[in-house]
Amino acid sequence: MFQPASLKGDSPSPIDEGIRNKYLFLYLIIVFLSFYPCIIFEYVYFILLWKKGFYLIFFLLVPLNILILLHVLQLSAVLFSFLFLTIIKLLFLPKEGVFDRDLKDKNYFFWNLRNIAKKWPLFINGSNPFPWLKNRFILRFFGVKIGKYGIIDNSWISSEFVSIGKNVILGMGSTLLSFGIEQDKFFLKRIIIEDNALIGAKCIIMPGTHMERNSKLSAHSYTKIDDVLIENSINIGHPAKMKNNRE
Amino acid sequence: MQNKDNSRFEIDYISTSGVFKTPFTLVIILQLFFGYFILLSLNIWFYNDLYFLLTGKGFLPYVLVGEWWEWLLLPMNIYGNILLFAFSIILFSAGIFKILNKLCPPKEGIFLRGSKEWKYTHRRFWTVYFPIWLARALPLPWSDIVVYRLLGVRIGRNVVAYEGYIDPQLVEIGDFTMTSLHICIFSHLIYQDKIVIKKVKIGKTCIVGPQTIISPGTILEDGAILGANSYTWLDQHLEGNLIHVGTPVNMSFPIQSVEESVQKAERIKGEKKDIDKEGNKKYIKGGKEG
Repeated sequence: MFQPASLKGDSPSPIDEGIRNKYLFLYLIIVFLSFYPCIIFEYVYFILLWKKGFYLIFFLLVPLNILILLHVLQLSAVLFSFLFLTIIKLLFLPKEGVFDRDLKDKNYFFWNLRNIAKKWPLFINGSNPFPWLKNRFILRFFGVKIGKYGIIDNSWISSEFVSIGKNVILGMGSTLLSFGIEQDKFFLKRIIIEDNALIGAKCIIMPGTHMERNSKLSAHSYTKIDDVLIENSINIGHPAKMKNNRE
Repeated sequence: MQNKDNSRFEIDYISTSGVFKTPFTLVIILQLFFGYFILLSLNIWFYNDLYFLLTGKGFLPYVLVGEWWEWLLLPMNIYGNILLFAFSIILFSAGIFKILNKLCPPKEGIFLRGSKEWKYTHRRFWTVYFPIWLARALPLPWSDIVVYRLLGVRIGRNVVAYEGYIDPQLVEIGDFTMTSLHICIFSHLIYQDKIVIKKVKIGKTCIVGPQTIISPGTILEDGAILGANSYTWLDQHLEGNLIHVGTPVNMSFPIQSVEESVQKAERIKGEKKDIDKEGNKKYIKGGKEG
């Protein structure tokens, strides 16, 4: 809520500098293609209402038009990037593990390519001022499982190797990282958050964390790599440790 | 866990403030239409008057003619329309906010999910969601402070409020305070299936450091400083004219001028040469006492 315009909740997707300029065309193609459905929509709107002389209805429905236009743009961006993503995944299947941070390593190279393909829909999703079709909707296309009835719109969620259950509450400005870069190593590890879990504000969830049912993480704390938070436990600290309930 | 009278309560963990999606979210469409109609009617009125003045003819047709004065007024038109759109929506939603406040004024305490207070806090938050986004997207640096003032948050004069999550109800900020980047000021928290609401009070000439969380019930006295990367627990009382640090806040230090800190450093350096390490440690810990 009351998200500052500069703090968009778009998921973290860094790109290696060696590849950034070389594959810019992929990003630009997705941007270019995603505007076509919007143009078709506007054309139909114009033909239907303006050319036939319904000026008043044309002017009355402009805000609705803008609202639909934004969501059409979002949808088409997701669909086109999904198309390119499937092609990239056919070339090389993403998998978890520890790899070399070098463009010769296929895992690292294709991870960067996937990030380029995802960049545009994630950007639109972050700068959308309306609360409909946000994170929960967009990230599903990229393979993130997100359950119903939660609050997940004010946090940065990595766009792959994450699964979130039902009724999960993610705090404001908290980050879920399923990738990590350390010196010359690069690793991808799955984050699992089960039903009814709660993450406080400004938390950082490191790769490989497993939060079991009903586990809680207090605000402003972070977890270790490959950490397991036990059922019904309350965890606090830097890094998070289990708190004794009965003292 | 909690007392019956709801005046003081203890919780096991600090969670987050957040709002579920309810059907009341559709209020955003209402705000959008309201802002647009004001924009449209004012534009039609403005251009028709100009058209009449310049040509002496009657009502302008819907299609703009594209004459020289239309191009001349274009920059003014664009900026004016942006500001008009934003501020008409802000004023409109401030009106809705006040009506909701009359129907069910914000109260302190613990409320169950689905109770009247729970519903009305959700309604209030959703009415405020879009106008605050708009105000922060505007190129004016003080626009979000204006919005908070209109909603009834008491913000004093000369306040620096950078971008951050600030709840729009039961928050009080005094004169000349500064709140840094990426802060969270929460006046409500989610706790199990309940919601905890408590007033936050920040005094005069305070500084709230970056990346901090202020939980409900916190009181910062005049001149208190909350250090970077720390957060407060529920109902914490921070004394004035001291620096407070910790996760949650557990240490406090006196504020030093530059000369004082330089003198202290020199004194420690001088002693380090001839005295053992214990003396050195004593000076570093000395801050805690005074």
